[in-house]
Amino acid sequence: MPDITPDTLNLTPDVLIIGGGPAGMSVAIECARAGLVVTLVEQRPRLGGAIFRQPVNGVAPLALAAGPERLKARLFKDFAAQVARIHCVYGALFAGLDADGLAIVEDRQTSRVLPFRPRALVLATGAVEAVLPRPGWTLPGVTTAGGLQVLMKETGRAPQGRVVLAGSGPLLLALAAQLIRLGRPPLAVLEAGDPIRRPGASLALLAHPSLVSEAASYLATIALARVPWHRGAQFERIDPCDQALIVTWRDHKGHLASLAADHVSLHDGLAPNNFGLPAEARGGVKSSAGNPLVIRVGDCREALGAAAAVAGGEATGRNLAAHLLTGGEVIAAEATLARHRSAQHHIARAFAPRRGQELATQLPDDTVICRCEGRTLADLKKLVAESPGLSARELKLNGRFAMGACQGRFCASNAARLLGELSHSADQVPVSALTGQRWPLRPVSIAALAAAVADAPQPGSSTKDDKDIR
Amino acid sequence: MTVIVAGAGIVGSACAYFLGQAGAQVHLLDASAPAAEASGAADGAVSVASKRPGPLMTAALSGIALYRELEESGPLSGLFHRRSTFIVAASEDEQKVLETHATALADAGVVITAIAGDDIPRRFPALSRAASLIIEVQGEGHAIGYQVVHRLIAASGATVHRSTPVTRLVPDRSGTRLAGVETPAGFLGADAVVLATGNGSSALLGLADVLTPRKGQLLITERDPALNAAMPGSIMSGRYLLSKGSQKTASAAPAPAGPARGFGLVIDPLRTGQFLIGGTREDHGNKQETDLSAVSRILADAVALVPDLARLRLLRSFAGARAAVRDGLPLVGRLPGLSNAVVATGFEGDGICLGPVMGRAVARLLLDKEPGLDLAPFAPNRFQSSGDAA
Amino acid sequence: MTPATFRWMSQDVPFRPGETIAAALSAAGVVSYGRDQAGAPSRYFCGVGACQCCLVNVDGRPIEACLTLARPGLSVTPLELDHA
Repeated sequence: MPDITPDTLNLTPDVLIIGGGPAGMSVAIECARAGLVVTLVEQRPRLGGAIFRQPVNGVAPLALAAGPERLKARLFKDFAAQVARIHCVYGALFAGLDADGLAIVEDRQTSRVLPFRPRALVLATGAVEAVLPRPGWTLPGVTTAGGLQVLMKETGRAPQGRVVLAGSGPLLLALAAQLIRLGRPPLAVLEAGDPIRRPGASLALLAHPSLVSEAASYLATIALARVPWHRGAQFERIDPCDQALIVTWRDHKGHLASLAADHVSLHDGLAPNNFGLPAEARGGVKSSAGNPLVIRVGDCREALGAAAAVAGGEATGRNLAAHLLTGGEVIAAEATLARHRSAQHHIARAFAPRRGQELATQLPDDTVICRCEGRTLADLKKLVAESPGLSARELKLNGRFAMGACQGRFCASNAARLLGELSHSADQVPVSALTGQRWPLRPVSIAALAAAVADAPQPGSSTKDDKDIR
Repeated sequence: MTVIVAGAGIVGSACAYFLGQAGAQVHLLDASAPAAEASGAADGAVSVASKRPGPLMTAALSGIALYRELEESGPLSGLFHRRSTFIVAASEDEQKVLETHATALADAGVVITAIAGDDIPRRFPALSRAASLIIEVQGEGHAIGYQVVHRLIAASGATVHRSTPVTRLVPDRSGTRLAGVETPAGFLGADAVVLATGNGSSALLGLADVLTPRKGQLLITERDPALNAAMPGSIMSGRYLLSKGSQKTASAAPAPAGPARGFGLVIDPLRTGQFLIGGTREDHGNKQETDLSAVSRILADAVALVPDLARLRLLRSFAGARAAVRDGLPLVGRLPGLSNAVVATGFEGDGICLGPVMGRAVARLLLDKEPGLDLAPFAPNRFQSSGDAA
Repeated sequence: MTPATFRWMSQDVPFRPGETIAAALSAAGVVSYGRDQAGAPSRYFCGVGACQCCLVNVDGRPIEACLTLARPGLSVTPLELDHA
């Protein structure tokens, strides 16, 4: 591939890291310590990722629980010690790995496409939130819990008006505690699971004291502010009403209840942010000629949280450096992750929804499944009914699920799950059948892509006698 | 009559549809799933604009007429988007070649209009001011391959067998007919067999020297209804004709250390408000991936002709492998020596345009009716004299 | 000192340096971003550029409000108003 880049930037670093959260920072630190040429690409203007997101200048960061706070301090201190040897490209998005083995980055600062050819490509893109479809989830005023947290962490402000948090998982509790500390307690937290009634799972968590103390601090904050934590709440719908949103749920006894709010934040768990990411090539496997070694670290490999991301990132970074400098295998830090895996397993069990979660029978037919293309449950049901044995790819092409601008990040897993439910298939429908592995992973500026060729050497003369255009 | 149609692309689906209409019981087999190969990765042109007079142009004109018919009579209602193709010249050389091409099209009975001067921005506001001549080829259209396949299969009444590749053709005792086909799920018998297996036909029929994959890369943008409305039809760059006419010009860029590839620019405004932009022709079948070099080149050409595309974002890139025959013509007809077996493949980039009409021709062959199209130039045994198998 | 602002519809929206367009709109109480090119309601949702729900036109180009830093004097409009 021709060199088609700004002169100052090294497009062939030893290690190109995508994502400046705990995992990416940890790999960068270890590789820089070992003397490798490291470039780190981060889509936001600051490092830290979702968990250690830093505020804009002049704003005090939101307080974290003691454990994460210590981890953050150490991570940033270690990074600062190596910062001169790590080239950070901020405001730049990873667009994927192309057929020629180029790692394509859209640099929004310079409006250019940067074709990197590193020796190793480390993907540290973190986690994404799962959000189940419900009537009204596409309304203005409805965000993901993580989305609300981004605003609060970066600006130090909570949104104006009444907030309801709904879905499932410990993040809802963390977010509630943060809202309370900013002086805007949420009206309620609606939790589909009931950790208190799953004593087995909750007791198992006692083996993880740092998690227990973190959870206890959130719960104490919430209790003190008298914010109701409705467990076993089956979230039904959001309806617009004048300027407000009416949130309706079924309580643990099956009774309907509702609240008027200005903001609703949804969250149904975390999943690796691995949409369309190139496949890993690690464990001593030689990458194909010219293509970088591809490694995933942190939550995009397995959503185990920040401590695991740092532990895994450090171990993988050391292995990778050794591999690039002297050869040898690149081994995942499996042993260090076992403990985190067990903790996440117990958390998932504790927060498991109390009721059955068959979406296809729970949701009204007009529920939007794919927001980008405006496709509903009825559209999906119709396709499945008229085509027995419908494959996920056919569902995508003919139903337009995962065909929109988000490329399936918010509908592919739900559509795959619904396809499984409706076709009564025992096998899980792979989400990747809907999302694929093609670049661009994100919509990329055509102006920037078109300009990438301008600096390239002129193409050679034609050697083909084309009979026809098609 | 029970018929096995192998290959649930557009040709096989159309064949299944017409056989179903005639009362046949059809088993439609596919190695993976309907429209999984070229039919699901095509640009969707139903067009003669780039054709030279000859059997392919004749077939394409019948193909377009059949789309109109199926659109009006029901089976493809709403799926055939009628629009003109605009071939655009943006230099003196391109203009000369385009004028010659326009004369050939007109002589063949294609309805065309020349647009020049101030009429260009009036008729085609999105176009760059560099455009000096447009030939509007009327009466054409666009159809999305996988949608057509889906609709035809649903209307065919055929039984679809996914993940069921044909691994072997099984002759009966006479040796002059097929008893059926072998699949991983076992033997499947039928009165007749249609092979519409695209690139899969090479291995099945021993056509490695005749039928080869030809990759194409295609792009889809995000929506822009305003820009879409400023494009009354699809654009084809006249630069492509230039390379066809005078050869060896700048229209093909070899990939670094890779096989040669050609670029032919087409921009199609889709009914979603998106734009489909293509594409490449590459002599290999590594179909899964696209590369920055090609994508950048295609987009640079596209922006040069439609400058406002620069403000949009690329949503998707994808690639497919056309099944290309050595002499540029498809293989359609009875398999030599087998009276109840028909092949229909090798349509290269014309499958969407020709799929329905060829599917119908093949169905008619099996039903002992006139195919409605002169299939002689497409005879599958035409390479045999030179020692090739077919 | 008056804070820097950008233009949203008929409104001057103040922001602090380093804030995204989405953060500034949220602080100004703007929840709805109009409709997108497919007719779906646009609004802030995931905050990390994944969902594409917060696309706005900045200088005539669609871009994620949640990833794009506010700059003084920017003209930010809903997608559906774009008829360039």
